[in-house]
Amino acid sequence: MNGAFLRMVAVALLNVLVVLLLSPLYEGVLRKLKAALHSRMGPPVLQPFTDTLKLLGKEDLRTVGSRAYAVTPALALASVLLLGTLVPMGAAPPLGFAADIIGIVYVAGMAAVFLILTAFASGSPYAAVGGSREMMALLSVEPVVAVTLVVGAMKAGTLSVGGIAAWNATHGPTISMSLAGFALFLAVQAQAGKLPFDIPEADQEIMGGPLIEQSGPRLALFRWALWARQFVFAMLLVELFVPWPHTGALAADLALALLKTLVVLVLVAVVDVVNPRLKVEQAMGYYLRVAFSTLAALAFAVVGM
Amino acid sequence: MILRVADDVTATLKRRLATDLLSTRRMEPDLLWAAVSPSRVRDATAAMKELGSRYLVTVGIDERPLGCGYGIVHLFSLDAAHLFVAIDCPVSADDPRIDSITPLIPGAAWAEQEFHDMIGVEPEGHPDPRRLVLPDDWPEGVHPLRRDVAYNYRPPSVEGVAPALTPPPKGTSVIPVGPFFPVLEEPARFRLFVEGETVVGCDYRGFYNHRGIEKLGDSVLTWDRLPFLAERICGICGFIHSTCYCQAVENAAGIVVPRRAAYIRTVMLELERIHSHLLWLGIAGHILGFDTVLMQTWRIREPVMWLTEAISGNRKTYGMNMVGGVRRDIAASQMPEILEVVAQVAKEARAVREAIVDDDTLHARTKGVGPLSTWWAKEMCVVGPPARASNVPIDARLDHPYAAYDDLPPKRISQEGCDTWARVLVRLDELEDSIRLVREALANMPDGAVRAEVGEVPAGRVGVSAVEAPRGEAIHFVMTGGSNRPYRWRVRAPTFPNLQAVPAMIKGQSIADVPISIGSLDPCFSCTERMETVDIRSGRHRVYSKEELIEMARLARAARNTGGGSTR
Repeated sequence: MNGAFLRMVAVALLNVLVVLLLSPLYEGVLRKLKAALHSRMGPPVLQPFTDTLKLLGKEDLRTVGSRAYAVTPALALASVLLLGTLVPMGAAPPLGFAADIIGIVYVAGMAAVFLILTAFASGSPYAAVGGSREMMALLSVEPVVAVTLVVGAMKAGTLSVGGIAAWNATHGPTISMSLAGFALFLAVQAQAGKLPFDIPEADQEIMGGPLIEQSGPRLALFRWALWARQFVFAMLLVELFVPWPHTGALAADLALALLKTLVVLVLVAVVDVVNPRLKVEQAMGYYLRVAFSTLAALAFAVVGM
Repeated sequence: MILRVADDVTATLKRRLATDLLSTRRMEPDLLWAAVSPSRVRDATAAMKELGSRYLVTVGIDERPLGCGYGIVHLFSLDAAHLFVAIDCPVSADDPRIDSITPLIPGAAWAEQEFHDMIGVEPEGHPDPRRLVLPDDWPEGVHPLRRDVAYNYRPPSVEGVAPALTPPPKGTSVIPVGPFFPVLEEPARFRLFVEGETVVGCDYRGFYNHRGIEKLGDSVLTWDRLPFLAERICGICGFIHSTCYCQAVENAAGIVVPRRAAYIRTVMLELERIHSHLLWLGIAGHILGFDTVLMQTWRIREPVMWLTEAISGNRKTYGMNMVGGVRRDIAASQMPEILEVVAQVAKEARAVREAIVDDDTLHARTKGVGPLSTWWAKEMCVVGPPARASNVPIDARLDHPYAAYDDLPPKRISQEGCDTWARVLVRLDELEDSIRLVREALANMPDGAVRAEVGEVPAGRVGVSAVEAPRGEAIHFVMTGGSNRPYRWRVRAPTFPNLQAVPAMIKGQSIADVPISIGSLDPCFSCTERMETVDIRSGRHRVYSKEELIEMARLARAARNTGGGSTR
């Protein structure tokens, strides 16, 4: 009992550390890749770390006085770290007992909600437009995420994320799970805030949208939360839908998962490089079509394929 | 042809105005000057419109030192006949007013506001009597382009003056685009009135960075120096302005430029178009978040800059033009390098074209965006690629041939899309055609001198020149004076008419479409502003003065330092 508890705490800490430390590193690698495709040198791979450190050391300036506004960046990052403990990373999710796939969908949306609240509170018209765009993006991507998780739940016969991952690892690829995995991959593009779906930030239109009034430590935490979110979503994708090969050894499985996560994010970055930004209603239409297509995966799951 | 059409115009004006057509004068090579009684300016304008002419710009001239009043000169172009027509209305100095022609020609709005500000002649019946060019704290009654105002006159700065802003319609909120905005390279300010994400209207304030170039031209610098000032009007298409100025003076003084100089000008003008269009393509991509296009087109563009540096000594602002020709020859030894760079650009530009021309996401963001109908493009007198993309196939290189374009006619390019995508296609086609023109100009370049002897420029002459800049047609008007400099020099950059079409282009579009709609004009502008807030619930808006802002900032800091603030 005690040993299991300690192990759970250790894995949870490991997950949090992996998310905290590797998400900026991955972002740095993606920037290098993007620069190479642009024929640029690009910033050093560790630039996200140095940026974050620099921003954390700056004065905390706020446009709004309320206590709730003061803590939203920390809450946004914390919610993503919590999500990190609900997602398998090599091992089964350490806090998997606390939330099933329905819980995950809620936790996954929290960072966006904190961002939206901050945007509307910050009193800038650009932030207000960005906040409403973020909301529309959230509303159109969540159904896709939910349907893909439901497909996994139907196949595995469990609502637990760890259970779905374990089932998939032992049963091998199926049509319905492959389709659902592809749909989730499309959703990661928006969750990562990459083109053609970086609509809420849209520098050239609304100057960073929700983040326009954020600076110093607040900006650092929000950025960190967004990097962590893309990392965790890519991790969720590979662990649920491409868990093979599964060795059973934590270190090996974690290393494999990290490698696959990097591959997913590299694909996301390539899509980002070859696309202009869509308008928010075009993006919503796109995800509506994706969500409906994902229902096909559900149908395959129902007939057992 | 010119003679016959000039006679037609004279006859029509004569019929319409009878004795109110005070005089007509033909000026070589392509200008018809008609003095018209100011009370009949609208009739003259209507007659010009019926003749199918295109309004260019209005020049206000302070002619009091010459023993007259103010000259208000409306310039028109009869493109098919290659003829400029100037309708000169001598306004009395005692009663400086004239009927506005904006109700007949909406595109004349800014030009009339400008002569109101700068010369002090009031356009009566103008739909927007606000200031356009002068700052808000400029004293009433001081008109900088009047001859009795010194070029270095500096009025004392006045605090607490608010710009005249159009209040937002009920139920809308204001999204400011500018004064400083990430994708507008220069300061400019559009206040968008939006409902949700839909733009229902806008208000523009600009011209705060007016540099007084025309004033310097007619009061400080001399003929020889002005090409270098003209080149500094624009950081991208400077050679176009220096060429346009030199040609206006050459037209006025009857100077014939050697053919080799004309060819060299053509080569430089087309090189400028090539790098400008590549630059624009990159910026358009950047506005849409498509930074790969920006990075690649600018990489392709760079060798062109090195090439112009090899030819002229400078990447930009070549300093090559003089009245009568050019200062630098293109050596035969440079030809292989030029051809090599041009071939490389041609190859890579084709690759870019193929990469973007079938891109569905790009179509989704540009088709139907920033619409400008053919009719409204003509009414607003829009020029250049935006006009050609709205199926108005005007091109100064063909309509008023200059340099070596009579030997090397460019392709007349136009599209019927009337949207941003059509503007992309027009520029891609022009890029290809410019590459062809550079190659042909180099292949056919005659030998000989590159500069004609220029003697005294006689006073009292007028020259008009049009040059097709990458952004559209630039117009320079020069009236010669006796003191080794122009009596009046008027510059109309292509963005001047094009920017006036923006309100129509963004109405009903979403906020996301506004940057690319403005960007699709490839605008060049300057302005700066104060801060404004709008209470969305009441629609009330107020403008904070500099003092108020400083005071607010001090209060906030004091509150924070005493621990009563919201931060730390």
